[in-house]
Amino acid sequence: MDLQTFKQQILPVQGRLFRLAKLFLRNREEAEDTLQDVLLKLWTNRQQLDQYRSVEAMAVQMTRNLCLDKLKSHGYARRTDEADLSLIQANMGTPHQLTESADTAAVVRQLIQELPEQQRLILHLRDVEEYSFEEIEQVTGISINNIRVALSRARKTVRDNYTKVLNYESSGY
Amino acid sequence: MNHQDIDALLARYYEGETTLEEEQWLKQYFASGQQTPQQIPDAGLFRYADGARAEHPSPGFSTRVTARLNKNDVIHRIGGWSMRIAAGLALLLLGFAAGRYYTGSPNETVAENGQTAEIKNVLSVTQQANTSASDRILAVNQCTELPQVNEDITQLLINTMNADDNVNVRLAACQALVSFENEPGVREALIQSLKSQTDANVQITLIELLVAIKEKRAMNAMQQLAQSKQTIDVVRQKAEEGVSRLSRQTMNSAS
Repeated sequence: MDLQTFKQQILPVQGRLFRLAKLFLRNREEAEDTLQDVLLKLWTNRQQLDQYRSVEAMAVQMTRNLCLDKLKSHGYARRTDEADLSLIQANMGTPHQLTESADTAAVVRQLIQELPEQQRLILHLRDVEEYSFEEIEQVTGISINNIRVALSRARKTVRDNYTKVLNYESSGY
Repeated sequence: MNHQDIDALLARYYEGETTLEEEQWLKQYFASGQQTPQQIPDAGLFRYADGARAEHPSPGFSTRVTARLNKNDVIHRIGGWSMRIAAGLALLLLGFAAGRYYTGSPNETVAENGQTAEIKNVLSVTQQANTSASDRILAVNQCTELPQVNEDITQLLINTMNADDNVNVRLAACQALVSFENEPGVREALIQSLKSQTDANVQITLIELLVAIKEKRAMNAMQQLAQSKQTIDVVRQKAEEGVSRLSRQTMNSAS
């Protein structure tokens, strides 16, 4: 596989990989770093890429694993904790603006972050990246039935918690 | 599509039962902002998803990565497992070949060559004036430590045994030569040397050594020594003893 083919096959996917990394790492720079690692790794192993049924599914798996590794490292956990705190404070500081679209997205993002990792991933792949159930199965190795269950739970949890946030705001703070 | 339809679709959406196409309708519906007040909590997820989908790496990212890929291209061209295994095997074979070729690590060979050269230098006749007796004894002793000797070394020791000015060096050379008794020419040289040596110490040592290595050809030389008038008594006795012991050994082996 030469650079041209690689660019044609892999680079279009990089937006998806980036969003996935950002979902896990919650930080633009970290997500770009991870994405770069993934792309370099794919490039290094490009001879083997033909063996995979779906290069994209493999790239998504790779990104997810790399992100989880990063999150496990002690130093990273501390850094993002600090970042999270400021994010929550920023969100809660302006409750009267919650219904505005930018803040809605921020609050929902926060609620999604609170989901278990698997539910978060499935919700992201389905509702943001618009993957079919078969594609999600390929990436996660979870059966389609279980994917439906996890997706349903994730969607309901986010809606219920978002309802709580809205009620909290409308009840006059 | 009216609000009731949307509600029905939403119910299925929350059960994870909607198709991608149905979800597309829901997205369009919420993006158009027609939702009822009851549907506001539902709108949150869709609004988030719209925003999240629009996120992309920063504009310079692709060029940066492509530049790095180009740089890594050369290095990783020899990547791939099959290539790595082949390279590993090649190295292994090379290692075996080298091991066979050198029999013993190359470093040792180099060191030995250096040592041999040094010994030759110290023991050479022309250097005798410049080296001390103890240096030469040391060099002679080093000869016995060499794992392998060649004719150069034994000849050097023979020369030292016959020609060195110092008795102790000659003695050391005699002792050293005995450990190479199986080298060609060494036994003969010891016998010849017995005829030419004049120092009693060396003569006695040679007789003892020749008896020890059971060199019967030395009997003639010993008899000459025993009959010679120039030989001092101690050496004559030793020579007679040597002759008798060697002849006894001959009889023993004959009977």
